[in-house]
Amino acid sequence: MKAIKILERVLVSIPIMFGVAIIVFLFMRLTPGDPVDIMMGRGGAVSAGEIEKLRSEFNLDKPLHVQLWLFLTDAVKGDLGYSYVQKTPVTDLIRERLPATIELALTALLFALIISFPIGILSAVWQNSLLDRFSMAGAFMGISMPGFWMGIILILVFAVKLHWLPVQGRIDFDAQLAAGTGFFVLDSLLSGNRAALISSLKHLVLPGFTLGAGIAAILARVLRSSMLETLRSDYVVLARSKGSPEWNVVLKHALRNALIPTVTVIGLQVGVLLGGNMIIETVFSWPGLGRMVVAAIFQRDFPLVQGSVMVYAITFVLANLIVDILYTYLNPKIAL
Amino acid sequence: METTPPTVQPTNRLIHLWSIRLKLWLRDTKEFLRELILHPTALIGGIIVILYILAALFAPQITSYDPTKGNLRDRLKPPAFIEGGMKEYPLGTDAQGRDLLTRIIYGARISLIVGVVSVGISVLIGSILGALSGFYRGKLDAIISRFADLLMAFPFLIFAIGVMAFIGSGVTNLIAALIFKGWVEFFRVVRGEMMSEKTEEYVEAAKVTGRGNLAIIVREIFPNIVQSIFVLATLRIGEMIIMEASLSFLGLGIPPHIPAWGSMVASGRDFMLVAWWVSTIPGIALMILVLSINLFAEGLRDILDPRLKTIA
Amino acid sequence: MENKQPLLEIRDLSVVYPSKRGEVRAIDSIFLNVEKGGRLGLVGESGCGKSTVLHAISRLISRPGKVTCGEILFKRKNLLKLSSREMRNVRGKEISMIFQDPQTTLNPVFHVGEQIRESLRLHNIIPGTHLPWPFDIARKRQEKERVLQAMREVGIPSPMDRYATYPHQFSGGMQQRALIALALVCEPSLLLADEPTTALDVTIQAQILNLMLKINQDHHTAIILVTHDLGVAAEFCDTITVMYAGRIVEQGPVDDVTMNPQHPYTQGLLACRPVISKIDQKVQPIPGNVPDVIDLPPGCAFAPRCPQVKPACLEGPIPIFQTGEKLFNRCLAQVSYERDPLWSWEHIVRQCDE
Repeated sequence: MKAIKILERVLVSIPIMFGVAIIVFLFMRLTPGDPVDIMMGRGGAVSAGEIEKLRSEFNLDKPLHVQLWLFLTDAVKGDLGYSYVQKTPVTDLIRERLPATIELALTALLFALIISFPIGILSAVWQNSLLDRFSMAGAFMGISMPGFWMGIILILVFAVKLHWLPVQGRIDFDAQLAAGTGFFVLDSLLSGNRAALISSLKHLVLPGFTLGAGIAAILARVLRSSMLETLRSDYVVLARSKGSPEWNVVLKHALRNALIPTVTVIGLQVGVLLGGNMIIETVFSWPGLGRMVVAAIFQRDFPLVQGSVMVYAITFVLANLIVDILYTYLNPKIAL
Repeated sequence: METTPPTVQPTNRLIHLWSIRLKLWLRDTKEFLRELILHPTALIGGIIVILYILAALFAPQITSYDPTKGNLRDRLKPPAFIEGGMKEYPLGTDAQGRDLLTRIIYGARISLIVGVVSVGISVLIGSILGALSGFYRGKLDAIISRFADLLMAFPFLIFAIGVMAFIGSGVTNLIAALIFKGWVEFFRVVRGEMMSEKTEEYVEAAKVTGRGNLAIIVREIFPNIVQSIFVLATLRIGEMIIMEASLSFLGLGIPPHIPAWGSMVASGRDFMLVAWWVSTIPGIALMILVLSINLFAEGLRDILDPRLKTIA
Repeated sequence: MENKQPLLEIRDLSVVYPSKRGEVRAIDSIFLNVEKGGRLGLVGESGCGKSTVLHAISRLISRPGKVTCGEILFKRKNLLKLSSREMRNVRGKEISMIFQDPQTTLNPVFHVGEQIRESLRLHNIIPGTHLPWPFDIARKRQEKERVLQAMREVGIPSPMDRYATYPHQFSGGMQQRALIALALVCEPSLLLADEPTTALDVTIQAQILNLMLKINQDHHTAIILVTHDLGVAAEFCDTITVMYAGRIVEQGPVDDVTMNPQHPYTQGLLACRPVISKIDQKVQPIPGNVPDVIDLPPGCAFAPRCPQVKPACLEGPIPIFQTGEKLFNRCLAQVSYERDPLWSWEHIVRQCDE
């Protein structure tokens, strides 16, 4: 049964999430250097009593397994500790930055799908055509190109040279957008603020495209090769022999089967999306989670790094869970 | 092939046996090289990669500049082929007046070392653990596989960034961070192949003739999977090089005093409006190298293991 | 046999696949006649082009292969001259196909019933006005009724439950029945069966053949059965065409061809068939291999394997001789035959080159 299969996948991913949390915890604690020393390093002279107080406040005086247990129970409750630098709960900091990151990630995913699907399908249908050769050469360049460099090139061309699009940030300074969900596109739509909408969309184009392009390249290649395979299959001949028009043969009979391997790859690409997120947010000064983590690393703000890495990893696990479920729906052979 | 007369001494026979093996190996290698040369993209990719390797090896002989010391009077000079450029600096200079070409050549060293070493050790660790896991199964397999599953739950770049955040930047640290997750893929491939090859008839036959397990793994099974691993490893070198550059771009990979393409791109960002070449040219060097490695890898795949085509 | 008018007439059909080593003549000037409700068997070894004939009829020759000359007259229309839209209306509605391997032929991701219903939908078999997707419930119900009826007719048990199941949940025999239902749901007048029983167990084979025979009798659907098994063709068909290396070597009513084969190749095919009733028999394989269609010998393609070969067989193209009212044979072994100018090979070559 499908429901049981899905439940099974959900159950399997729970211990993985705990494992992820344990690895992140261990990394932090097994790193040379005492967290309190690091904290104090910027605070100036502090008395031994105060250090003790801090140690017990952060549970650093307890044995490692107790610390781990406290960390895990807190994490389940949504408490990821305090930022050393900003002295605020890590969860709050992450929550504040998350909408910007999600907005960017979804835009990138949208770009990736919009670019890769037509290219992948048409390249397979017209195999060895000019379109196929050019787009596959492009896709090959795409997978060989580092995202940060592509971002810089795009900024140079479209922002610096042509002035079509903004260089950095999420929205123009003068766009007066009332606070809301934190998703600027959504907020400006809800408040009917046209200027803010256009501004935030314009700001999304370059970083979204840069982040999505690499994924689009991989997806287009995978989709093309699986389409080539399904287009050669017997059921495609059957569909034609039924009198199916060619678009129906391609988009229904062949594509529906080619989606099965493609969806697996989409799941893996979510990892690229999340990792690339840190890079692209840095390139475009995008005020999201990734840029915050990079800044936190240089400030040696370990709880913040630890919490954010965990959020990334768990997002990845959840994304793969969704992909697994999708896969179960797409592939009827799984269901039994 | 002529037959050995029965009177030959045992040592002679051994030498004879090995000479036959050598001949066969040479013949296979020659055949492989011939196919490689006939494969247009693999040939181009291979040649460019070799040029990079040569440039990296002989960097001090190729260029007379010091990659770390610049001449501040010549800062931000454009490349020679555009207006204002100087012949002395064919690709221009950076903000500290250092010759870009020199730094790019030295940067190739870091990229190639990180890519090859991290993939090489990943392959080694992954193959050994994968072979043991897949062949013996049992508790060891269960533990390693669970650990591998856990590592799979992290996106690669996030994992590397996280590790670098805690252990700090540096070439060795960076390689260690990349290996820490890089072995998993090879482990899974080798383990899977091991499990499926184990049931094949030739392994059964080897068992019957009384070969030890280690001999079966190394002499019988490995030759059958070594080609796919080789192709996969080549593809991963390019990815690792991009990974290294990305980390260096963020300032988390190679420390600033060593020339690396990623940090060169990052340092050029501040001068993008006045000196576009500082950040774009190192990126072009990087892209050409990765592109060539990938072209070469695809060629290898076509020749050695066409079955892999669907994977990546 | 009351209706003797031809349903399908193939004249001088050739299909060529270009390849690196040269052109491959997959079929080489084929002449066929199928009457309404007739059952024609196309027999030959694998690679002799018999499946290509079927693909040519439904115009599904995969690129880069193409029909180089000839005409396919179906109900007096030349199928090769139809536009692709007109051809689509013929496919599935007037001419249906069933395939060799039911397991890979049904689309694995759609319900079996829905795949059958798609044929009805594509050809608008259910009369009346058609509303778009969310409002088409009434029509859908009618179509489903027709599908269930077709599934029942081909002997799929409890079709109601089977309608919404996936192909992999069916056994091989059931899958083939489903494919037959799919092919017949629009009541075509010609069914092209490409080795429909090869992938099935022997017991299932007989069931499927009986089913096809029943359909042939109940609906007067003409059938072209492609098979490598002369025995199957002998049981099932009323006319048999034996092909070798893309050419017809012998053609005629089933009794003449199987009881009194004229061509050495047909004789060979018969001799290498085991017969259960004979104890201690020797099966005689035809010596040699199927020839490479890229470079055929200039004369008879079968000459290198033929026990009765003569010098003349190797010299040049062999014409087809008419040896009876409906009996044709391409062999010089018995030269006393009168030469039929209309069917001569040289004539055909000339026509193609024009």
